[in-house]
Amino acid sequence: MDFTFDDGQAAVRELAEQIFQGRATVERVKAVEAGEDRFDRELWVDLAKAELLGLCLPEAYGGSGLGLVELCLVLEQQGRVVAPVPVLATVTAAMAVAEFGTDDQQAEWLPRVARGDAVLTSALEPTADPSRLISVPWAHVADRVLVPVGGELHLLDPNGPGVRSERAIATDRSVVSHLTIDGAPTERLPGSSVQWLRDRMLVGQAATQVGVAEAALEMTATYTSNRRQFEKPLSTFQGVALKAGDAYIATEAMRVTMWQAAWRLASGLDAADAVLVAKWWAADGGQRVVHITQHLHGGMGADIDYPVHRYFLWGKQLSDSLGGASPTLARLGRVIAGATA
Amino acid sequence: MDFDDTPEEAAFRAEALAWLEAHAAPRDLDTTRPSMGGFGDEYVRQCQQWQRTLYDGGWAGITWPKEYGGRGGTGRQAGIFSQEQAKFDVSNGVFAVGIGMVGPTLMAHATDAQKERYLGPMLRGEEIWCQLFSEPGAGSDLAGLSTKAVRDGDEWLVNGQKVWTSGAQHSTFGILMTRTDPDAPKHEGITYFVVDMATPGIDVRPLRQITGVAHFNEVFLTDVRVPNDNVVGEPNGGWRVAVTTMAHERALIGGGVGLGFRDVLRLARSCGRTDDGRVRQALATAYGRFEVLKFLGYRVQTAASQGRPPGPESSVMKLAYSQHLAALADLVLSLEGAAGMLNGDDAPDAGQWQQHFLNQWSSRIGGGTDQIQRNVIGERVLGLPREPRVDKDVPFRAIPG
Repeated sequence: MDFTFDDGQAAVRELAEQIFQGRATVERVKAVEAGEDRFDRELWVDLAKAELLGLCLPEAYGGSGLGLVELCLVLEQQGRVVAPVPVLATVTAAMAVAEFGTDDQQAEWLPRVARGDAVLTSALEPTADPSRLISVPWAHVADRVLVPVGGELHLLDPNGPGVRSERAIATDRSVVSHLTIDGAPTERLPGSSVQWLRDRMLVGQAATQVGVAEAALEMTATYTSNRRQFEKPLSTFQGVALKAGDAYIATEAMRVTMWQAAWRLASGLDAADAVLVAKWWAADGGQRVVHITQHLHGGMGADIDYPVHRYFLWGKQLSDSLGGASPTLARLGRVIAGATA
Repeated sequence: MDFDDTPEEAAFRAEALAWLEAHAAPRDLDTTRPSMGGFGDEYVRQCQQWQRTLYDGGWAGITWPKEYGGRGGTGRQAGIFSQEQAKFDVSNGVFAVGIGMVGPTLMAHATDAQKERYLGPMLRGEEIWCQLFSEPGAGSDLAGLSTKAVRDGDEWLVNGQKVWTSGAQHSTFGILMTRTDPDAPKHEGITYFVVDMATPGIDVRPLRQITGVAHFNEVFLTDVRVPNDNVVGEPNGGWRVAVTTMAHERALIGGGVGLGFRDVLRLARSCGRTDDGRVRQALATAYGRFEVLKFLGYRVQTAASQGRPPGPESSVMKLAYSQHLAALADLVLSLEGAAGMLNGDDAPDAGQWQQHFLNQWSSRIGGGTDQIQRNVIGERVLGLPREPRVDKDVPFRAIPG
């Protein structure tokens, strides 16, 4: 057993940290949020130039041939600055193309993703009506959407014929799209599995949530240590310190369960329960952390000129995306106790 | 003890409902926009119109004495009326600070001339009030406020900054706490004023909030001249006056009539979630919390009916309410599934639940945080020893910044 990252992984994290910290400043995030697409295209280009978008894609198509653990290191850094770029949606969809796509499909999409010339996403929120895909993240700027057909994934052009797209704004202030599909042509990823992609999305979300939680908690520690009330720093009150301690414990629980799931998936091991454990911590623990960090900022949390509210909104969005804490527990129960439970 | 309506209360309820049916349109949850979102001009106008209608019908200020234009009724009656009023598409939310907090404070502490001047127009909805208490450096530690007022003949000269002031941009008057004796210990050098918001030197700047609206403001006061006649209570005796205001504030927040359990149940049904055992359990837990709040509310109302002003028990209610609100928002959004993560008009029920989720902070922070309420409960209800205080008997100016 070894919980440390190797030199290559440490280098990935350092590079991602440098780019996200340098580019996704509070002012920049605010400016992008005020735009129509809410997509930081300059940051996207920088990530491509640093070879972080092709990180987990095959070397034959311009990638670096690494895997999910490295992607999670990048996503954690993204979560720390709540940067509005579709790394998770695009890279996990591209990984599915690399895993299941034909040579032609791989040749068409993977080099473009690695260069930052294509945005991919997937429509995995449960829907009662398969012709109506709700709240698809990043579809408004995507070149292709992976949609579930049976248990398989198909490539759909969201700008092509037979697709009607309506934009909506999500809790985290990102743009999502409701897609109504009527006779649109799709392209099958042969032998692909919706579950395969969902597992990677869930773990990637959990990694992002770890970044959100740890950065929000650091901001909270700084804020409550500098803010003085009753002639001493707020952080010296037990009512504050104990809550921050609870948030730290939850963050570390999120971190270890996320790495366990990422490592098992990357190693080709059975990860059915590990993914759900990570998702549950990301959903339940993540939500608890951002409630605490928001709360300990007092009125500042409600003022949108101050950045901490974005962590609360991202935490909530990541918590409830692809099923919240309660449906996750039910699924985990079925996995560990048997399907008849 | 009797938790049900007495025959008199039932008659009052029937009378209130009949009057409301004749004067207001029923609330349609599917189309009604959230009312807690900001104080837009149209919303203010509707509140003023409704308050005037209430006044003319004899339903404004149910617990206020008749001599001030009220109904002279009981707290229980006020509770019954607000329960019934919640079924209709009306609001008098912009008067919460005035009628709910300032009115009772003035009745307890103001001069006859002040009561005569302010209470009538307040109750008729002609004048809106705001609360100039919190400062950038004085939140939980309100008594640490540093906005200064210096006596100058028949006037006081005020300089400083206030923050989180609800509705300041629409207000005629504010209640203002100032430091008037920096040589006294911090609770003993504070003076409470009524200030005309049109006075030169008052600059109101809206704060854009997480809910997407600008309900709160920053208020800058520069050489603002306030007549000595506007002091409420005694000079340097303002903390005692403010305690009355704050107890009413907590009772007001804790008694907040938002969406009720019926609304939650209706939503769970419309999402097809009521057969799920986990959802049923969560609904049952929420129901339990709604019941607790209802009965805590009755207790506060009963105390008020017996002439006892809200005391530390309003902290219990406010704390229970804010915790309930947080849990309820998470429950409801999870019931909605993916749609629960949409914001604004795109979300179910015109975004009301998303607004509740985002607006929970105004109840959890405003009027004293959950931690402050716990302190009040610990020290003033349970009688635990007070926290060691370094500032108790020290002149305000000797406290290191």
